Amino acid sequence: MARNLDHSRIQQMSSFEMLANQVVEGTITGLHKSPFHGFSVEFAEHRQYNSGESTRHIDWKLFGRTDKMFVKRFEEETNLRCRLILDCSSSMYFPKMNEPSFDNPNKIVFSIYAAAALMSLMKKQRDATGLSLFTDKINLHSHAKSNSVHIKYLFGELEKILDQKLLNEDQKTDIPNSLHQIAEMIHKRSLVIIFSDMFDDYDRADKLFQSLQHFRHYNHEVILFHVVDKKLEEDLHLEDRPYKLVDMESGEQLRINPSEIRERYAEMSAKIQHDLEMKCGRYNIDYVRADINKGFDGIILPYLLKRKKLH
Amino acid sequence: MALELTDANFEELALKSDKPVIVDFWAVWCGPCRIVGPVVEEIGEEFAEKAVVGKLDVDHNPEIARKYGIRNIPTILFFKDGEVVDKQVGSVPKQVLVNKLESLM
Repeated sequence: MARNLDHSRIQQMSSFEMLANQVVEGTITGLHKSPFHGFSVEFAEHRQYNSGESTRHIDWKLFGRTDKMFVKRFEEETNLRCRLILDCSSSMYFPKMNEPSFDNPNKIVFSIYAAAALMSLMKKQRDATGLSLFTDKINLHSHAKSNSVHIKYLFGELEKILDQKLLNEDQKTDIPNSLHQIAEMIHKRSLVIIFSDMFDDYDRADKLFQSLQHFRHYNHEVILFHVVDKKLEEDLHLEDRPYKLVDMESGEQLRINPSEIRERYAEMSAKIQHDLEMKCGRYNIDYVRADINKGFDGIILPYLLKRKKLH
Repeated sequence: MALELTDANFEELALKSDKPVIVDFWAVWCGPCRIVGPVVEEIGEEFAEKAVVGKLDVDHNPEIARKYGIRNIPTILFFKDGEVVDKQVGSVPKQVLVNKLESLM
């Protein structure tokens, strides 16, 4: 049976009430205004009509009243371009469960709902939104647009991933390559928001960091949501009995007793996270740890703060 | 309170002033001018001692408007020692105008 995004929950997440709870001051629309003139939003001035130019924007009411030929000019609100990038590799489908949901998500479902909430907020703010999905290759790379048909299409793409939750067995990750490719495909300066568990070969961590730096090289602003299941992945919160761990991407198996390795494991895990955090700090990338057990509250605020900083 | 400038008094009140001068070129039929107008009035009150703040109706005073090539309204010109030193076209937030005026002091 096809699984659908729970739209009411997304609406709820991106509602003004929730934003108010997060102590975001000011209104959402009009956080920024552009000095450029277009013909869309707020009437800013009259300019004398020059013969030969388009008659489209002539203020005909004024002409009717006074015989003066003036063109209306408007102040355009700039649209921020945002790109949401989702890691869809098998490791994101951890913890394995039959019916992951909004209230009981695995990493991919958490990322999908978080991305959908941001998307819904971006739509309200008329930010152009693009979506990229990757595993060991780019599975989707949409344009960045702000119209509602486009947003609906993106929601549809997110719903498709919800649907194939069990189809993605053994789907490997290649974060560095994928991010490099996506960085090359984004032509205009954007706010790049990445959802990933950052599970890649630790041996090639440098490559991973380089790929993040690639975005900064093109002057994009980056927020990295490091999606983790802290309880299981970091604290190794398992009963004290022998376990067989299976790598969701390679199928490799490992027999362990949690109590024996817990300390060493926690140490390594902390080191990896520390490295990631430090590198992000150095590259001016906003690093946000998103624990799937802690809900979605921490997702929207980093985006809003970054957005405010950009304008 | 902003001064009512005209073709006749413009030179005397604006160009010969030893304080910075801002002049709002406007017309009664222009919607955005009605947004900028009160802002200019406020600035006139706040800077009463330090600057000359005036308004000039382009319909009734075409000479000055033509002299300064005013094709868009509202346009706000900033003068110092009788010379145009800055220009702001369109309706903008008050702070933008205040910042420009303060930079002339």
